[in-house]
This record gives sequence, C-alpha cells and structure tokens, in this order.
Amino acid sequence: HDGLAPGCHLHPFNVTIRSDRRGTCKGTHQVHACVGYCESSAFPSRYSVLVASNFTHNITSASRCCTISKDPPPPPPPPPPPPLCPDMWGHLCPPQVKIEILTAKACRCDMCRKSRY
Amino acid sequence: LHSFRGCAVREFSFVAFKPGCKGLHITTEACWGRCHTWEKPVPEAPFIHRHHRVCTYSRTRHATARLPGCRPDVSPLYHYPVALLCHCAVCSTQDTECETF
Repeated sequence: HDGLAPGCHLHPFNVTIRSDRRGTCKGTHQVHACVGYCESSAFPSRYSVLVASNFTHNITSASRCCTISKDPPPPPPPPPPPPLCPDMWGHLCPPQVKIEILTAKACRCDMCRKSRY
Repeated sequence: LHSFRGCAVREFSFVAFKPGCKGLHITTEACWGRCHTWEKPVPEAPFIHRHHRVCTYSRTRHATARLPGCRPDVSPLYHYPVALLCHCAVCSTQDTECETF
C-alpha cells in the first residue's frame, strides 16, 4: 500500500470461499476493502481526565481509522441445502450452494473500533 | 504535512490548569501522524476484519511544571508526559484516554 495517498480508499482483493474445512470445493471472488491512512494524535491529558482516571491516563489519544462507510448487516444464514439428488445415472450429487459476501462500496476515516484493534 | 504517512514527534502546546491555581501555557513534544488502518469483508462471522492502529507515545519522559497563583493548600506542581518516540499501536486503556470520533 506504499502508493496510497493519505485518506481512506477502496481496495480490491480476492476472497477464497471453501465448501468445507478441507476445501473440497473452492473458488475466488473479488470484493473491496477499505485501506488507508487516517489522522491520529496523542498528547498530555487535561486535568479533568487525570482526576477521572485516578491519575492513570496521563495521555489522551484522539484518532480516526479507515472504515467501510456503512457496516452492512451480516448476511442472513444460508437456507439448509436441499437433500442430495440422484442424477440421471442414479449418483447422489451435491446441490449448488449460493454464498453472499459483503463488499465495501465507500470508505471514510471514522471511529476506530477498540474491540477489534 | 498534507502527504505525511506514519507517526512522529510533533510540537504541541496546551494550557496546564488545575483547580486552585492559574493556568500556565506549556509547549512540549507530543505525537501526530497517519497510521495504516483497514477494514475488509470476510465470508465468516464477524464478517469484517479490522486493523485499527493509532499514533501514540512509544517512549516518554516525565516533566513537571510549576503553576502560578496557587492557593496555599494546593500543590503548584503539574506533571505531564513528553514524547521521545512515537509509533502506530493499539490504544492502551491502561495509561491512555482513548478518544475516537
């Protein structure tokens, strides 16, 4: 990402989808991530912050991070696959499974999420 | 600075104040920059992977200022950190007030 200008930008990448943990069947699909450089700073905390933190937080960090502009809701769980169907020779064949994958449509410098730092 | 990427020591001015004293204008060294951060969709829960890092102090020294006009029962000493080195890292709630907006 060395060529990236400051800011938060769409970035294509390939996702590999596997039918099972062993990867019996797999395929790749291109989606977009958000990647970039957003401003942040750290400085001495105000006295009110020092008091509120019992003098443990002597540094204050003010930050923004590169985020997908709006978190789409997680896709609904896929419906249970139909039972295996016999083909014309009587062999049992797996059905086609449709998988939904999210992709970023827009990016912006916004709140850093502490839970997944 | 418009194209700067990374995290560096930068001059910072603030007014040190505490109840019972007058404020004192202090110029010190703090941290500023742009850290590499990203979010990418993944097929499994939680459906988004994040890499969020912030520009913060890596090495510090402690400094003490003497505030003017303090009441007799209030210590005039005001302690604050001075940045010697800065880096992009997870914001640690152990010693940092982590604000994001």
